[in-house]
Amino acid sequence: MLSLEHNFFEIFDLPEAFDLDEKELGSRYHRLQSETHPDRFAGEEEEKKLQAVQLNSYLNEAYATLKSPLRRAGYLLQRRNIDPESVNQQDLDMELLMEQMQLRETLADLPKDESALPALDAMKVEAKRRIAEREAGFAEAFSADQLPRAKKIFHELQFIYKLLDETLQAEEQRLGY
Amino acid sequence: MALLQISEPGGEAAKPAHRLAVGIDLGTTNSLVAASCGGKVEILPDEQGRHLVPSVVHYGEDCAVQVGHEARARAAADPSNTIASVKRWLGKSQQEIKQSSQASRYQFDDARSETAPAIITAAGSRDPVQISADILAALRAQAETCLKGKLEGAVITVPAYFNDSQRQQTKDAAELAGIKVLRLLNEPTAAAVAYGLDTEDQGSVVVFDLGGGTFDVSLLSMKQGVFEVLATGGDTNLGGDDFDQAIYDWLQAEFATKATAITAQVELRAYAEQIKQQLSADEEVAIEWAAHSGKLDRERFRALVKPLVDKTILTCRRVLRDAGMEPDQIDSIVMVGGATRMPVIREAVAEFFGKQPLVSIDPDKAVAIGAGLQADVLIGNKSAGKFLLLDVNPLSLGIETMGELVEKIIPRNTTIPVAKAQEFTTFKDGQTAMSIHVVQGERELVSDCRSLARFELRGIPPMVAGAAKIRVTFQVDADGLLSVVAEELSTGKKSEIQIKPSYGLDADTIETMLQSSHEHAKEDMEIRAQREAQVEAQQIIDAINSARQSDGELLQAGESERIDAAIERLQQAMQGAGSVEIHEQTEKLNRLSADFAARRMDLHIKSLQGESINAIESADE
Repeated sequence: MLSLEHNFFEIFDLPEAFDLDEKELGSRYHRLQSETHPDRFAGEEEEKKLQAVQLNSYLNEAYATLKSPLRRAGYLLQRRNIDPESVNQQDLDMELLMEQMQLRETLADLPKDESALPALDAMKVEAKRRIAEREAGFAEAFSADQLPRAKKIFHELQFIYKLLDETLQAEEQRLGY
Repeated sequence: MALLQISEPGGEAAKPAHRLAVGIDLGTTNSLVAASCGGKVEILPDEQGRHLVPSVVHYGEDCAVQVGHEARARAAADPSNTIASVKRWLGKSQQEIKQSSQASRYQFDDARSETAPAIITAAGSRDPVQISADILAALRAQAETCLKGKLEGAVITVPAYFNDSQRQQTKDAAELAGIKVLRLLNEPTAAAVAYGLDTEDQGSVVVFDLGGGTFDVSLLSMKQGVFEVLATGGDTNLGGDDFDQAIYDWLQAEFATKATAITAQVELRAYAEQIKQQLSADEEVAIEWAAHSGKLDRERFRALVKPLVDKTILTCRRVLRDAGMEPDQIDSIVMVGGATRMPVIREAVAEFFGKQPLVSIDPDKAVAIGAGLQADVLIGNKSAGKFLLLDVNPLSLGIETMGELVEKIIPRNTTIPVAKAQEFTTFKDGQTAMSIHVVQGERELVSDCRSLARFELRGIPPMVAGAAKIRVTFQVDADGLLSVVAEELSTGKKSEIQIKPSYGLDADTIETMLQSSHEHAKEDMEIRAQREAQVEAQQIIDAINSARQSDGELLQAGESERIDAAIERLQQAMQGAGSVEIHEQTEKLNRLSADFAARRMDLHIKSLQGESINAIESADE
């Protein structure tokens, strides 16, 4: 039974690791949803409804965290008592930083109309490739309990995801959204 | 209150009673109410058998409130007291409402604050929540008449794109109308339920909802009985009305005429709507207006409304993108809202998705039917089985940080209910209070987002800067409504604050409004009693007069005059006195005429005794 005492992996009865069966996560989430959603308590007293809102919110938070690879990685570090938000200079790869700055400049310099779309598309593909690479690295480092290395990769992932996000936004602007 | 059901030992347990719950589609142009009748959900008709109730309210001099067809019929003659499309005003400030196209007809109540606008009608100052409540009360009455019972709850639909204050005001309006809200359901989700898409194994559904005044696109996924809203988008100020407006503007330009009088404007707008509807059936429409004549064909119309149609397709694109999907991955497209009858819309949608949209259910009724189905489940009449609806919050929730920037706390399209906690600290030594500003929207600057609430957190123990730890929890419930709780952690001192959106009504206002509606209820009861007393009095007067005609010889000297005087007093009371006074005079007349009545009875019994039994029997036949 779902409880606020359970950690996010315990909720779904899944092993505490970066690699996870997304299909299984989805189907367990849906099963737990149908047991805990506040609609199931629509006719009950206020107290029970409030409890359902609280428990179901926790379930949604757990699902959203595990579903997103970046948030999942951060949560795993947290579970090992590492604050994923604290960043040391030594944690960062200077080469990566320089590269990111350059990419960001490229992004800013692209033409403001549809002619930028092919370049943006290429940047998207490249960012996704890098993400896949880092995610495999994180999974390996974390399962080998190499936590400093895992943390470093996590920060790299944060950078690349942010760049991907900005690329997507730049694309939306060109598409007229 | 539910009563305990007691059954005899060994006897059959009483079957739980069918509880009355309805689905209400509170639309911008029309509203509908649907309920389960014998296993099937149907739209409940009014006494004339009509399904659509125009969302129009008319306020008369005598405080009379008319809703629906009767109200709409008075729009042209009495525009300043007839309110249409009030849904567009929900959650808006006075300034925003004044910018809307229909606002020029109304006189705003200057005594009300900018954030709680109201307009002055013949029945007094009315705000959007009260006007919406009047529509809901009429729908409730219609449902209760039709179902012959008291309503126990309702599912009310709202556009998926409605923000927190718009949802809150919808709920406030329902409360004011005495309706228990089982759930605020997003309109597109309701429509998908109506199409029975919840029975499919799995699939992706786009609901394209172009109503009178709002536009919504939602992408839903269906898996294992769970309906999940993946992404939503839309425009709270785009709808069929805008297509009417395009024709209206064209008519004015074409005939180089300008309808200046308000009544002429209303009539011309109604004519524009009629032309639009006719264009859905015919390729070309002949136009006759005052001394002018001409024609409008579909091609011309398509060009007129192209910017509007493009806007709708752009929203589809955006929603797909939010969910990371392509048009060809969509299994079905559900069309909702009267404006989707326009071929120009259906063609654009079919072209974009590469498949024909579903149109088999009347696009005006799909939402109400889906809401009715869900109401039946939530009230407990129908087992939900595995079936469940998951909604997302349509707009990001955030707080103001340094430099008037927004920090997003709950991003849009997060599954609700959801709770997010954020920790804050003080930036000055000894600081004991901090101000938190909650906003809703996607933009980075506070000024570009909608302000939901500002509240002050007081009583923070004085400490050095950065030592206090304040955790603020944002909770969005299954209806999409927000509450915020703050607590100070470092000292264990808790100070909790529940907020309401600044555009919503505060609890006191709701209470005052509820009280006044109870008072009106008393007045209504007295009016009813008075009418009943009047009817009863008239019956007695008629009976006495006809008795005097047939048996006048039984009257004694002066008796007729005394009865006449009593009848006159009663007739006076009937003109305007209360029910108690009418009853009193009726009673006096009864007593005065009692002897006469007794003599008549005696006479008739005597005459009966003189006749044979056969004769009486045959007389009865």
